[in-house]
Amino acid sequence: MSDVDNSKRTWMIATGCAGAVGGVAVAVPFVKTFSPSERALAAGAAVEVDIGAMKPGEKLTVEWRGKPVWIVRRTPEQLAALKQTTPQVADPDSKRTAYPTPDYAKNEHRSIKPEYFVAVGICSHLGCSPSDKFQTGAQPSLPDDWNGGFLCPCHGSTFDLAGRVFKNKPAPDNLEVPPHMFLSDTRLLIGEDKKA
Amino acid sequence: MAEFKDAPAGASVGVKTMTWLENRFPTAFDAYKVHMSEYYAPKNFNWWYIFGSLALLVLVIQIVTGIFLVMHYKPDANLAFASVEYIMRDVPWGWLVRYMHSTGASAFFVVVYLHMYRGLIYGSYRKPRELVWIFGCAIFLCLMAEAFMGYLLPWGQMSYWGAQVIVNLFAAVPFIGPDLALMIRGDFVVSDATLNRFFSFHVIAVPLVLLGLVVAHLLALHDVGSNNPDGVEIKKHKDPKTGIPLDGVPFHPYYTVHDIYAVSLFLLVFCAIVFFAPEMGGYFLEFNNFIPADPLKTPAHIAPVWYFTPFYSMLRATTADFMPFFWAFFGAVGLITVRRSSLPALFRVGYWGLMAVLFFAFNVHGIALGWMGVELPNALQGADAKFWGVVVMGGAVVILFFLPWLDASPVKSIRYRPDWHKYVYGVFVFVFCVLGYYGVQIVTPAGTLISQVGTLIYLGFFLLMPWWSRLGEFKTPPERVNFAAH
Amino acid sequence: MKKIIASLLTGLALVSGAHAAGGGVAWDRFPTEKMSDMAALQNGAKLFANYCLNCHSASFHRYNRLREIGLSEQQIKDNLMFATQKVGDTMKAALDPKEAKDWFGATPPDLTLVARSRADGSKGTGADYLYTLWRSYYRDDTKATGWDNLAFPSIGMPHVLWELQGERKPLFEERESHGHKEQVFSGKWAVVKAGALTPQQYDSAVGDLVAYLTWMAEPVRTQRFNLGVWVLVFLGVFSVFAWRLNAAFWKDVK
Repeated sequence: MSDVDNSKRTWMIATGCAGAVGGVAVAVPFVKTFSPSERALAAGAAVEVDIGAMKPGEKLTVEWRGKPVWIVRRTPEQLAALKQTTPQVADPDSKRTAYPTPDYAKNEHRSIKPEYFVAVGICSHLGCSPSDKFQTGAQPSLPDDWNGGFLCPCHGSTFDLAGRVFKNKPAPDNLEVPPHMFLSDTRLLIGEDKKA
Repeated sequence: MAEFKDAPAGASVGVKTMTWLENRFPTAFDAYKVHMSEYYAPKNFNWWYIFGSLALLVLVIQIVTGIFLVMHYKPDANLAFASVEYIMRDVPWGWLVRYMHSTGASAFFVVVYLHMYRGLIYGSYRKPRELVWIFGCAIFLCLMAEAFMGYLLPWGQMSYWGAQVIVNLFAAVPFIGPDLALMIRGDFVVSDATLNRFFSFHVIAVPLVLLGLVVAHLLALHDVGSNNPDGVEIKKHKDPKTGIPLDGVPFHPYYTVHDIYAVSLFLLVFCAIVFFAPEMGGYFLEFNNFIPADPLKTPAHIAPVWYFTPFYSMLRATTADFMPFFWAFFGAVGLITVRRSSLPALFRVGYWGLMAVLFFAFNVHGIALGWMGVELPNALQGADAKFWGVVVMGGAVVILFFLPWLDASPVKSIRYRPDWHKYVYGVFVFVFCVLGYYGVQIVTPAGTLISQVGTLIYLGFFLLMPWWSRLGEFKTPPERVNFAAH
Repeated sequence: MKKIIASLLTGLALVSGAHAAGGGVAWDRFPTEKMSDMAALQNGAKLFANYCLNCHSASFHRYNRLREIGLSEQQIKDNLMFATQKVGDTMKAALDPKEAKDWFGATPPDLTLVARSRADGSKGTGADYLYTLWRSYYRDDTKATGWDNLAFPSIGMPHVLWELQGERKPLFEERESHGHKEQVFSGKWAVVKAGALTPQQYDSAVGDLVAYLTWMAEPVRTQRFNLGVWVLVFLGVFSVFAWRLNAAFWKDVK
């Protein structure tokens, strides 16, 4: 009698284990069909931008993965102004991780080259696209010592010219810096960096 | 709460959980007993008995792969073909899901045809299982509709033109035909409107009906108990103490482990096809369907998918010239079967009245006069042979529903029938396959003639069954099943 | 029981491969060993991009998939992409389909699946057809394009590879058939003008192109076979376990 029970148990365990392995092996491809398809990946591919014609103070907008990406060629004055806004912003060293800042942008100017600022033009509060406010000085909805930056029209969050959010604003995070790299002095690739 | 049972003292968490559930959902636990652990199935099942379980497995495969395909498929005439290639190329592992679904469709019919054949040879449709058989025939009809509508979805040349041809058949119905075809298509030709409604039917409407019918089929079966290769009713001999049939074994675990083994063998064949020959020489995935549908260009050769070809053959065989012979065939059936039957006299008189009506409806008079050189005006002729072709094709499927009442054999299973009955079944299968073969070929005079003879043999097998199933020397079926321990 | 099975098998033996009507000559066998030759597939890709993509699209196939035949993204961009496209884009023809219809009378069909759609159960695979097609052109001034083809009589496409093959003339011979004489292709050709390639080189180039088209029609084919082997091995082992499990239970049944 115990032989019969043993053989049943042996084969039940063997079949059960093999069945579990088989089950997982079948489930994996089906779950993988959820991941982005080649079409989605192609549509989300990196965007190459020619910045050779940009003048100092000019801003370009390109689309990457359905989002607006800003490229600002900052003037020396605008770069200098960043020192003044550093004490006024909530996360001056870009330490927050909700929209992780790439290592090459973890500096005061939040970019690879100080001159060229690259950021996703979407407010970290609820997703509106902030407006350009490069002119310095007092203006409606802006403080008297305004040094230039961005103002989000939806709920009034303000960002400096390195995309850093000011203190006590609805938006919790700095503007996202997307992965990007310079293919040459005049060609900027948005969506990929050397790590990828 | 008074009927709640308590778990034994010191019971494990598992036992306590099960007791908790059983107190609140006793139906599930009773169902497990009724349908699995205390459903006593005959112990002498042979390999013919596996196809029901396999059909259930293929149904699950089709539903699961179907769900994943619908995540990426676009039911729009401009986007459908491209979306299928998107699944094949751009969706990670999409190709596997697609091949499983296309192979599953053909596998479904292989399994279902073999399942039905088992019913035929062992008399599984006979009393008290007539309703099980009727639900099964309804499932077969739904399956054919489901496959037909699913085949339009890839929107290839074969999809489009196959649908065009078959929907045009409905236009052959007298009086309401053209309107019926228009309502089915939603347009003057098969178009985006047709695609969208077929998508709805294929993805949700027919599967729901199928699931309901499968549940009814299984419940009706379990109510009366399964048949077996010897045709012996195992409930006739029960153990006096326990009431358990002496020749029965509980479905679980005996047939669950048996089915697991059979499923693994089935999956071997299924996966061999999916991974090594999903096109199956153009039978499972037709070559022409790799070309997007072109309403302006008919392919040189339209054929339905292989599982419809026997019935398609019968449709094409029903030509105008064939109708007089067809009518004569019904006369022969009347003489042989109806005249000597035990049916009430009113029925027999009605049969001959019907024959008189059919004489004109089949246009036998028109064709006979035509042979003599006299042309009747259209209004005086009977219905088009095209319509009768549809009737024959439909009739060939519907006749299955009547099988329990056509079979007059004193024994259930072919094992105890005269030996020559086996040849009759063999001829039936052979003819079914020959009809299938000619359904794929282009129309030729020889092919048409063979298909016509085949159609009459197919229909004769059923319509003459009240007569031939009683002929010959029958053996006495045993009281207990034949079973060799293994 | 055995009689039933015997009758069944006899019936099934009558069924042959799926059949599609087709004109033209019998098809030569495509050299399938080219399917595992990366150099052949890459050469085929080059021929396809240079000779076919001008008019025909392969709109279901992405450029970056060519990495699977051993090309790097840079090689693809440099050698095979001509328009301002990205490597993740699908292969679209240079020609506008509406203009093509004006000029040629018909839109040149998309070629992504041509190697699968042209198969014919009784004549051969789609690759066989394409391999025969590109080696069966001959000049015929009665046709609009100036060319005709033995495998596809009155083909609307000119012989775009004529520079490589040159010009040949098919040789016919008289044969008796059903009581009357008819001209039948003898299988031999006479060279009228030599092309840039020798006949063997041309046949090999056509083989490369057809290999590429066959690969493009189903790029996942090799992985499918490889995975299939493992799946069947696993199922074989599982079947043995299930068989023994079944036997272990049914031992008790008397």
